[in-house]
Amino acid sequence: MAVSLANVWKTYGEGPNAVHALAGVDAEIPAGQFTVILGPSGSGKTTMLNLIGGIDDVTSGDLLVEDIKLTGLGPDDRTAFRRNTVGFVFQFFNLIPTLTALENVELVANLTMHDGAERAAEVLEQVGLGDRLDHFPSMLSGGEQQRVAIARALAKSPPVLLCDEPTGELDFETGRLILGLLRQVNRDLGQTVLLVTHNAAIGEMADRVLRLRSGGIVEDRHNPAPIEAGELIW
Amino acid sequence: MSPLRHKLLRDIRTQRAQFIAVTVTIFLGVTMFAASYDSYQNLTASYESTFTEFRFANLTVAGGDVEGFAAAARSQEGVESVELRTVADIPLQVGGLKLLGRVVGMPADAQPMVNQVSTANYLSIDQPAVVLVEEHMADHFDLAPGSAFEILGATGWRSVTVGGVASSPEYIWPARDRQDLITAPDNFGVAFVVESFARELVGVNGPTEATVYYTDGADNPELSEVLLSRATKAGATASYTRDEQPSNAALSEDLKGFEELAVFFPAMFLAAAAMATYVMISRLVHAQQPHIGVLIANGFTRRQVLRHYLGYGVVPGLAGAIPGAIAGVLLARVITGFYTEMLSVPTTLIQFYPATLVGGVLFGLVTSLIAAAAPARRAARLAPAEAMRGSAPTGGGRASLLERIVPPLRRMPIPWRMALRGIERNPRRSIFTVLGVVLSLMLVLVSWGMLDSIVRLMDRQFVEIQQEDATVYFTGPVGTSEVESLEQMPGVASAEAVLHSPIVLAADGRYETTLVTFEAGTVMHQFFGEDGKVRSLPDDGLLVGKALRDVVGISEGDSVQLVIGDASVQGRIAGFVDEPLGTMAYASRTYAEDVLGSALPATAALIAYDAGVEVQEVRAALVDLENVAAFEDANALYDTVQRFMIFFYVFVGVMLVFGGAMAFALIFSAMSVNIAERTREVATLLAVGTERRQISRMITAENMTVALAGIPLGLGIGYLAAKEAMASFSSDLFAFDLYIRPSTLVISALAILVVALLSQWPGLRAIGRLDIAKIVKDRSL
Repeated sequence: MAVSLANVWKTYGEGPNAVHALAGVDAEIPAGQFTVILGPSGSGKTTMLNLIGGIDDVTSGDLLVEDIKLTGLGPDDRTAFRRNTVGFVFQFFNLIPTLTALENVELVANLTMHDGAERAAEVLEQVGLGDRLDHFPSMLSGGEQQRVAIARALAKSPPVLLCDEPTGELDFETGRLILGLLRQVNRDLGQTVLLVTHNAAIGEMADRVLRLRSGGIVEDRHNPAPIEAGELIW
Repeated sequence: MSPLRHKLLRDIRTQRAQFIAVTVTIFLGVTMFAASYDSYQNLTASYESTFTEFRFANLTVAGGDVEGFAAAARSQEGVESVELRTVADIPLQVGGLKLLGRVVGMPADAQPMVNQVSTANYLSIDQPAVVLVEEHMADHFDLAPGSAFEILGATGWRSVTVGGVASSPEYIWPARDRQDLITAPDNFGVAFVVESFARELVGVNGPTEATVYYTDGADNPELSEVLLSRATKAGATASYTRDEQPSNAALSEDLKGFEELAVFFPAMFLAAAAMATYVMISRLVHAQQPHIGVLIANGFTRRQVLRHYLGYGVVPGLAGAIPGAIAGVLLARVITGFYTEMLSVPTTLIQFYPATLVGGVLFGLVTSLIAAAAPARRAARLAPAEAMRGSAPTGGGRASLLERIVPPLRRMPIPWRMALRGIERNPRRSIFTVLGVVLSLMLVLVSWGMLDSIVRLMDRQFVEIQQEDATVYFTGPVGTSEVESLEQMPGVASAEAVLHSPIVLAADGRYETTLVTFEAGTVMHQFFGEDGKVRSLPDDGLLVGKALRDVVGISEGDSVQLVIGDASVQGRIAGFVDEPLGTMAYASRTYAEDVLGSALPATAALIAYDAGVEVQEVRAALVDLENVAAFEDANALYDTVQRFMIFFYVFVGVMLVFGGAMAFALIFSAMSVNIAERTREVATLLAVGTERRQISRMITAENMTVALAGIPLGLGIGYLAAKEAMASFSSDLFAFDLYIRPSTLVISALAILVVALLSQWPGLRAIGRLDIAKIVKDRSL
């Protein structure tokens, strides 16, 4: 399994003020699956993604990603886990404004290889930005910035790609392009993709849909015939 | 309390470290202002009160027909009192120590009308050998009523008894004369004796000095001008106004220091506080744009928004300025008390000056208001729709100037490129960090430069210029053979005759000083020209202090009128010397005898010791000689100055701490904002697996590059500021040329860099506490 959650709880606060963002979630996500996690605001979908990505700690339960047990992992091991195992795509792109597209990707690629420049150029080429290498984020459109963010996530070749509302800041057409790109990466490179969104339509392109409400999975649906991103309508 | 007020206080609480840094800087600035300004006012008032109480002379005239001058002065409108007295520098012998002291005549059974002294015991004509001893001398030699010492009179050594200890406005700072402002207590002391006894001791029939006190004691330059002209007509050989009086001139220099301290240093602190406040509030406004948009959209007026953000300046302004002003006023009391006690000022006047308190608070408040004004105005002018939408931080990316100029730099490792570009990302903040470094270095270099310069000045004067180890004064004029005989004394390597004579140099201006006549080819004094090179004493003219170029209006080769005693002759200026203490005139014996047309005796001898000699033994042997009246140890003065240096070390130490605190506050604010502004980047880097220490290194590289950029500028500007500060203290009494040791520059720069390094520590520590999950999803950052 790429990701395995067993009775995972995430609680913020204590006593009467305690809020259970995740309440005993169980899920198994096999390698190479394109999973969409759906749910309204406050359902716990981003919390689940953050726990899987190692940027937040479970309160109780077992969480394994690529056979690495995240529960009780120390800061250094957690950093190594994030470096080697997962890649993030954020809603707000979170590119470093003082670095060009190539440098943004190279910076992350260098974390796992000696000279990441070549790899950075390669993944930017893959996401269709071969002609934008030296552009700073301010010179790129929203869709292009998100593609740089995807390239950045792919640069380390992580087995698991975590995308949090990757189309939230994009218009419809650009959003579909980005989703298509993520799907293509999933198919071509075999990476496990977990995509969080509140947009139910996006679930149509996934291999599997996990629907969360109030910190629990209320629907776990396998999609026998996912449609292409270009066919999505919302 | 209104919700906005709550918000203000909670925001401040959230960023308390930065607000505390700003508040402390304002506190220090206002404290320094109030402490130094009130000390200045208190000391001025104490001196003024002393001068009025003791009827300190507005004008003193010596030599010539002083009685004739006194008669004329008494009839002059504006003159309240004129006192005649006998004053002479004559040897004293206290406990086996012979020194060149001073005897001042006073009326019997009464205070003089001018230059009164603090004493409960009047002098009596019936007991002429009962004298008053000036307080500094009494303290140093442990003299009390009943103690005995000797005065060398015209008829030999006379034993006298101490009848009381007196302090005098003329000797608050015990200076022998304007050319000899720093006098070692072993070398100088003043005894007040009944006038008839003074004349007997000195061997004169009439008074030698007239002292004049103006109506109400107030200074009156026009009146002084008139009286000085009368004094010249009466053949006066020396005269000085109250401002020029040696003790008062020295104290005025000191007061000037306090006055400068009250402006220069606080101004730097408040400038630093203003910059830190500006940086901090600008960041706050930027981060709170969506909140501001909501406020305006909901009907808050722009004036309310403006007031709210001005509040972020007002709170630290008042929090620093109010306690700062109070602390400063209280500190001024301590400083004044300590100072007047140390100097034995007869009257200490510590007053409450509401203007200082109000001024201090206003300075602090206005500083922070000015600093807050621009960001607060920016907040008030925000378009609500745009402000509420917020903006993802994508703007501003481009290669750094350095990379554009030197393209190969684009191949530097990415963290270095980030550091370089980060500097230009918020140029204003980078400039403020640089200015913080500059201001801190200015503060440190001005104070440390003062210390270095004084150490250098003392070395120059006492090691390089004055080559003698001691001066021996004879009981009367002696010939060359008596001087040469001193060389036979054990421990004496060489002895040279020397003659000190009061002299007036007159050309376009007029200057009273001392003519020191050395043997031609003297080895007891090195003469440094204005070019810093040693020159020999010429046989065809005088060497004079460089200050006389402007004061008397003379140049090399000029002819000048010389008034020495009763003689008035023409002399030639052979050149100028650059000496730190005093403005003297030097002549070779050959030239002086040529000009005066007669052979000159020696009144003193300059002595050089054998190496490794026991100084006390040589001194004891010399003062035992019948014809030796006084002994002046050149090193005693140097040692005295060295003892005073402890105050300078403390001063510089305090300034270093203050400079460090200021640098910390400013650089901490700028760097904290720098780190806060890139929270999202840092969180993203952490999320993708970058190690914390790598991120810390990147941020440190950027911050230290900015700090480093400020170092050469700070050293340059600090040097110029120190030079200006030293120049402001220079006069004909002291020539303060700035000298800063290279090690001072290096240590100052390193100290500021260390402070810069430390000041980012809290920000870097905060990286470890970042909530990555929250930050990467927060659009407002």
